[in-house]
Amino acid sequence: MTRLLDLRSISAAYDRVRALQDVSLHVDKGEVIALIGANGAGKSTILRAITGLIRPVAGEIHLESERIDGLRPDQIVRRNVAMVPEGRRIYPLMTVKENLLMGAYKRSDKAGILQDLERLFVRFPRLKERLSQSAGSLSGGEQQMVAIGRALMARPTLLLLDEPSLGLAPQVVREIARTIRDLNREEGMSIILVEQNSRMALKISNRAYGLSTGKIVISGISRDLLSDDRIREIYLGGAV
Amino acid sequence: MTQALINGLVLGANYALMALGLTLIFALMGVLNFAHGQLYVLGGFVTYYVFTVMGLPFVVAVLASIVVLAIVGFLFDALFFRRVQQRSAREESSMLLAAGLALLLESLILLGFGEKQRGVALSVSGVYQIFDAYVPASRVVVFVVAMLAVVLFILFMRHTKPGRVLRAIAQDRDVTALQGVNIALYSGVGFAIGSALAGLAGSLLVTIFAVNSGMGTAISIKAFIMVMLGGAGIVSGAIVGAFVLGMVEALGYAFLPGSVTYLVIFVGLILFLVIRPNGIMGKPWG
Repeated sequence: MTRLLDLRSISAAYDRVRALQDVSLHVDKGEVIALIGANGAGKSTILRAITGLIRPVAGEIHLESERIDGLRPDQIVRRNVAMVPEGRRIYPLMTVKENLLMGAYKRSDKAGILQDLERLFVRFPRLKERLSQSAGSLSGGEQQMVAIGRALMARPTLLLLDEPSLGLAPQVVREIARTIRDLNREEGMSIILVEQNSRMALKISNRAYGLSTGKIVISGISRDLLSDDRIREIYLGGAV
Repeated sequence: MTQALINGLVLGANYALMALGLTLIFALMGVLNFAHGQLYVLGGFVTYYVFTVMGLPFVVAVLASIVVLAIVGFLFDALFFRRVQQRSAREESSMLLAAGLALLLESLILLGFGEKQRGVALSVSGVYQIFDAYVPASRVVVFVVAMLAVVLFILFMRHTKPGRVLRAIAQDRDVTALQGVNIALYSGVGFAIGSALAGLAGSLLVTIFAVNSGMGTAISIKAFIMVMLGGAGIVSGAIVGAFVLGMVEALGYAFLPGSVTYLVIFVGLILFLVIRPNGIMGKPWG
């Protein structure tokens, strides 16, 4: 398999408070990677570093053999990276259609954009019904579909999802898990999934990294980790 | 009475340009632009210079004001605001910067155009009679051009891709960067548009009220009143606030002794904000 993304010994900080310490991880083409860990463990910070929203204080990030740390977010996402941010962060005062078109901002192929909209409506029929409604008036699950749809409109080869299951009903979480798996299997999309819902994340990913206070403390094949005693204790808590 | 109402409409349309510019910059940058009045004054002086001193057509003078102010606005952002905001996330830093830029611009206007009060006599032949009021054609021109600019601005924001991007930045800066938008470039464009609107208002109103280098702060305060009345960051709010202030001002000048008008306006504003602190159009962002 070919290497798509490579983080080498990344350290990052917010206002001089260390948030990541010597984090190394990689994503191969076609892989689904899960980052699991408690709130504040540094999962989201990894995504923010990859997309250039924060600059690492040490280490290197390579995307397809090109060094990208130090680039601006808009330069990085132009290299076919898209993010579904934590808490959805849709544009509440724009219509669903305007939200989706913002996702296609960097594209100029009108026909392709229309085609991708149609494909998106096959995946999420409810978005078609809500197209001219303001996105802020949608339910949480529908808003998550808008956030995912917006990211897909960029035609990414690497999709970053930050806590897509947060605050959603179990059946919606299942629907989103299915979507993630489909995107990977049908379109070969590489995915990094950040989740507090560790069980769901381990079930749909190939490999996983477990974080604790800014460091990677465990990593391996997701299937193995699901039955690993340490993981059970720390992340799965026995319950659910 | 009719005369005062018509004056109010003409004022309101031009005030709307200022309020829209101010609210656009506020929504994009999170900065209350204290230099907004000085931008208006500069717009007036550029029109005076091109039309009266150089003797070129009024249309050219108006376009010159728009272009000069757009460039000044873009430079304001590129040279000052962007740099300060990169170093400091605190709002006070940007506010202080804006206040400093107001003084800078005021001094530059004084150096460039002198301390004299300057007005422009726009002679368009014809007087319209509307009920018992007489309206010179030049005022009709000023009103129509301002309204046209307001409508164009709204259409631009609603229905074009750059307009959509500016609205997106106002709602969520980081997420918009993640869609591939060069935020620094668009902030500059937004600042340029906001400044050009202030310059256009100055360019048009200089045919009615003369400008001088020291009046910028008073104009800024008017613009703040409109935005507070309507609700900060809201397009419809800026327009409503502008027409309310224009009307009240025109009626006040017609029926109250000179300096009482703004006393009444300030007292009224304070009472209004106590009752409705978010302005007429309510919550932010529309």
